[in-house]
Amino acid sequence: MIEEILVYGAISGGMYALLALGFTLIYGVSGVVNLAHGSFFMVGTYLFYVFGISGFFSLIPLTLLDPTWGPLAALILAIAFTGVISAALYRIIIHPVLGDEIGVMVVTVSLALIIQQLILMIFGPPNLRINPLVTGSKQIWGLGVTNMRLLAFGVSLILFIVLWIFTNKSKVGNAMRAVSQDREAAMLMGINTERLYMLTMALSAMLAAAAGVFITASITEYAAPWIWLHPLALSFSIVILGGLGSIKGSLLGGFIVGYAEQAVAIGVPEGGSIISIVPFTVMVIVLLLRPKGLFGKRIEMED
Amino acid sequence: MVTTYIRRAYSSFVAHVFDIPARLLAFLLFLTLLFIPFAIQNTYYLRILILANVLAIFAVSWDFLVGRTGQISLGHAIFFGIGGYITALLSSSKFFGLPIFLTIPIAILAACIIALALGIPSLRVKGPYLALVTMSFPLILAALLKWYPLNHIFKGEFGIRGLPALVPRLDWMTIGQQRVGEYYVTLILLFAASVILYKIANSKIGLVFVSILDDELASKACGINVTKYKLMGFMISGLFGALAGCIQTHLLRFANPPMFALTLSFLPVIVTFLGGLGTIYGPIVGAYIYYILDSYVLRDWLPRFLKETVGVTLPPEFDFAKLLIFTLIVLILVIKLPRGIAKFTTDKLGDLEEARDLDERGPRIWKTYKKKEKTTSTGSEPTASS
Repeated sequence: MIEEILVYGAISGGMYALLALGFTLIYGVSGVVNLAHGSFFMVGTYLFYVFGISGFFSLIPLTLLDPTWGPLAALILAIAFTGVISAALYRIIIHPVLGDEIGVMVVTVSLALIIQQLILMIFGPPNLRINPLVTGSKQIWGLGVTNMRLLAFGVSLILFIVLWIFTNKSKVGNAMRAVSQDREAAMLMGINTERLYMLTMALSAMLAAAAGVFITASITEYAAPWIWLHPLALSFSIVILGGLGSIKGSLLGGFIVGYAEQAVAIGVPEGGSIISIVPFTVMVIVLLLRPKGLFGKRIEMED
Repeated sequence: MVTTYIRRAYSSFVAHVFDIPARLLAFLLFLTLLFIPFAIQNTYYLRILILANVLAIFAVSWDFLVGRTGQISLGHAIFFGIGGYITALLSSSKFFGLPIFLTIPIAILAACIIALALGIPSLRVKGPYLALVTMSFPLILAALLKWYPLNHIFKGEFGIRGLPALVPRLDWMTIGQQRVGEYYVTLILLFAASVILYKIANSKIGLVFVSILDDELASKACGINVTKYKLMGFMISGLFGALAGCIQTHLLRFANPPMFALTLSFLPVIVTFLGGLGTIYGPIVGAYIYYILDSYVLRDWLPRFLKETVGVTLPPEFDFAKLLIFTLIVLILVIKLPRGIAKFTTDKLGDLEEARDLDERGPRIWKTYKKKEKTTSTGSEPTASS
């Protein structure tokens, strides 16, 4: 039982951390509470379905060379397209209301509803099956774990480390940290904040899309027009319990929620049906002890 | 004697309502709402207006909390759901079977107490933290209601059904008459709720709320107990939110977990922004626009119009486009008209008012006051001499 909690909890925790990272990144840099984060998760999944599974790619001769490249190309294309879409949406929709806290929330909620309705119109309400990228399974501590989950866990950890290095070492990452600490001073130093915000939004949406493809392909294995709600709830509760704007916090929060979910699913009678309240409960308990979350200060990313 | 009172009331009414375009508009809208059941015989249209009234109460309570006290809540559905479920449990014939004029006040008070209990931990956090924390409360409750071990009480996804109606249908009543009754009950409650909230918002307490909204630290420095007033705002808002939930439960005669859904938390937000934040009358306008646009124009009028004039039948996918069109309108409005439709209109009318020559209006008001002064002075003469 302990092994189950440890293994399965860690696997989902890694993916949750990836999901929450995008949410915390855009908040930390630009102060936008992006309630459409779950929608980018969904957009990524649907684009992956279009490119990878619906046979779109079999039309292009390039992938005929080696069929295993199909899903990978679909994954990369889905993530890239989500990034472009989110940057455009940010420029058109979120940018005009930037700085107005409630206005940003209203706008992003409307955006989420619009994306949901568009997907309903294009794909219809039924669930679409998302097949795993790789098949087969391995034994870990006597527990069967599918290769897809291992791959998802590995890729999310790698992405996390890459992001960590990116924000701490690269020039753009330095600019992001500078803007999150003091926007006006950063502008005076010659940082183009508008472009930086767009870039951060694209990055955040791409992380959401990656998490979307990996979570749907490894755990739930379907895509539906309302899968944006649960990821949104997950990401904001993880981010709040870790501290808004803190990368460390989202990593720790993701794992805490992953373990807690598994513990409830196994330990509580009929726990599977109340699994969705676990992140909130953990969040409320943490907030009662520490009102700013585990690593939260004001709008700030750690350095 | 009576005629002088009537004449004085009339002239002061003219001076205070007819002379100010915004008030005149509000008055005309109120008259329209009052007499609309005489013009509309279709029960479906009446139903739309009834539900618009309920949503308006709900949105007004959200507007009070966010626009007047500055606490962003994205989980207002929790009050709606709690009010609905408590009155459902108490009035359901399978449990207690109490009459609804008892259960609704009990449910509202209970929701008030729950608002206090939820407010104490959640008001330790601020701004976006508060918004996201409040957003999680209804989701927790919705999941608990669907939890299997509690199914014998809450009946899971199915919900509690077969509740007494808000306006019971007597033997001599047609459905239309029942609807008219429901319409007036909801309209009176809407009117009462908005007047009470407006009065609170413009009282001393309302001033304290505004000072907290503007600068919390400064109000603290002035000796205001910020936490107390924040909790008070939370409770007042929760009270009216629960009232809306109770009314809807007895209108539809069931309570089910979607009453806690995230969409129901977002709906007052969207509707309020459509009308104008922090205005009390804005959400009412917004709720009516929402229901008329969604349930009348897009569902009823547009398909019929296209079918009759162009000969095009809309595909079933158009069902999904309704919310899309509405949300797009809201999005464009929030970006282009951040004050909201109602606030924009009143501001424009206010500009008109200022631009008008005051000389024309001044003497008329002055005349009314002078008349009042004269009559009061003659009336109080004996007491003055004694």
